[in-house]
Amino acid sequence: MLVLIYYPTFVLSPGVLGHLNMLEMEASNLKQQDLRQSSCEEELNATLQALLRKRDQLQVEIKANTSLQKMRSLLDRTGVPCERNEDVDDQEDGSDNSQLLLMMAKHTQLKDLLHAHHLIGGYDVLQTRKGKGVCVSLATAYEGVYLETYNLEIDLGSNLRICRHNIPPFIPLERLVTQGNMQTDIRDFLDTLSQYLNAYAGRKQQLHLTKEIHSSVQVAESNALCTILVLMFTVPGEKAGATLCTLQYADHTQCLPTRVNIQSEDTALASSPQWKKNQALLLETPLHTALVTMKKTGSIA
Amino acid sequence: MDDSTKRILQRLIRRIPSQMLQTILGKWAHLSREDLHSLDFTQPKWVFTEHLLAHCEENGLTVKHITELEMIYIIENPNQGMWHGFQLLDAEEDAPSIELTQFKEQFKANLTELISHVSIKIKKHTDEAIWIRIAWGDNFTKPNHLKPTYVVHHLQTPYVFVTGLTSKHKPLLNQALVLATRYGSMKDAHLSGRNLTAIRDLLMRQYQQVFPTKHPKPLQEKNPVPRNPNIEKEQAENTENRLQMACEAFGDGTLPQLQKAVYKLETKFRDNSNKTLTGREEPFRGVVEFASTNLLESLRHCVSSGMASTPVTPLLSSITQKGRNYFVITDKGV
Repeated sequence: MLVLIYYPTFVLSPGVLGHLNMLEMEASNLKQQDLRQSSCEEELNATLQALLRKRDQLQVEIKANTSLQKMRSLLDRTGVPCERNEDVDDQEDGSDNSQLLLMMAKHTQLKDLLHAHHLIGGYDVLQTRKGKGVCVSLATAYEGVYLETYNLEIDLGSNLRICRHNIPPFIPLERLVTQGNMQTDIRDFLDTLSQYLNAYAGRKQQLHLTKEIHSSVQVAESNALCTILVLMFTVPGEKAGATLCTLQYADHTQCLPTRVNIQSEDTALASSPQWKKNQALLLETPLHTALVTMKKTGSIA
Repeated sequence: MDDSTKRILQRLIRRIPSQMLQTILGKWAHLSREDLHSLDFTQPKWVFTEHLLAHCEENGLTVKHITELEMIYIIENPNQGMWHGFQLLDAEEDAPSIELTQFKEQFKANLTELISHVSIKIKKHTDEAIWIRIAWGDNFTKPNHLKPTYVVHHLQTPYVFVTGLTSKHKPLLNQALVLATRYGSMKDAHLSGRNLTAIRDLLMRQYQQVFPTKHPKPLQEKNPVPRNPNIEKEQAENTENRLQMACEAFGDGTLPQLQKAVYKLETKFRDNSNKTLTGREEPFRGVVEFASTNLLESLRHCVSSGMASTPVTPLLSSITQKGRNYFVITDKGV
């Protein structure tokens, strides 16, 4: 490339000196070009190295993932990990590798199990505070409808400790913790707690549905835990008097009452065969459906 | 009606705000509908009280009926006076299955055994809370209806809320409650405030708590302050984190209205620049008090706006987590 543009004076000056200057400039330009080319080459080299490293890393990850998947499928099928992975290359840290892989496989299995459990309405466990705690969320449902979700935040120390929760105070959480087996068998503890909570949610929902659907039935007394319920029925007929029905749920892990008591101004009512049947009905079916049947048979208005 | 009864009624009508008079009197069973219509609620209160007194005398109403009216008023407007929370401990086997009539009988029997001149009124409110009004007397005087104690208890929970209780009568009430609810003892929950619903919600955890979830949807600030959009983008993640931590510590949505948090310090003074106070053996006694119209709301705002550092110090988050607003801090801890 000619550099006529830069030093026009030199081009115009005749003679050897002028010619030498021109040659000098050309030489320096060529050197600059060389430098530029070599720096470009260095950059490209560096990029190449980085891409090669990335490719190697990805290859290692793929290998680890495939062996993890193999381990996991073996675990799922048989419940027992295989002794040795056939194509493990380096023999020195082979055993550590397979131990690690086993841990990872079990971890993914547990996570999937928890997710499935959560999907069918059971509890879910989430890690918090970088592994120093877990948050358990217990879902409650009744007759296919999801109700409240309750949460427990547990501190993972040498002893498990519940640091925060939103479980209502009439559920005996402290009693379950101190007299139960939270430290040794947390699954059992969570299952029992879930039972209490689901039963409470079920009873509460029955009361709510009764109030909504059966407006002719008056609720004379109820309590926060929904274990005592006193209802007032109006019995159709000439002897239309007030009939009180007391339902007691002594087993707090159940949605059905343990005792049903019928009292009426008409003393013969309670011992009549129709009402004996009603009493049995209330003991065996949820409240709102039992009331529907009782209305159909004409026992109550 | 004797003078003291008249005075009780006069005081009560003075206390009830004019807008509420009609509704409260409407709920009182001892005033027939015609009587209610005949009363003129636009009159000045002292004239109105005279008319009401005349009606009550006509119908032969006694102190018992007036106290019913007072109870209706207090149940409708519980957020006045100073309420204190108490916790029952050591439940016995049959504590979870106590029912209302059993509790009523036991409580009345126990209290009248302990102190003979006492007037007790128990009422079950629609939200499963039992309200008890106690007017105390002693061996020589009749019950004093001008300074009653009100007690609120939810069956099957270990919490009791009390207002208007003097230290003289505290042990008597303690004993009667403990026996009637089948617990071992009762202790101070260190939670007090003017707002009964707030203390109740805090102790029974009926406010909206926030827990870490798998798919957290970003919590929205209820009243976002318009800010420079560029600054917002830079700080978006930090703001979200702070808001999440603030809500986890204090709750989401409307928070129970607490007015005060008191920290009594019994720790040694530690500041090397002050030579006179440092190095003393006995603790430096001080009291730190936070006061606000809605304390939890202010604390949550402090944390979410960055004024208080995160993670939230346990000294502040204990207010909601332990349900207390009075703490004694020693060198060994809270």
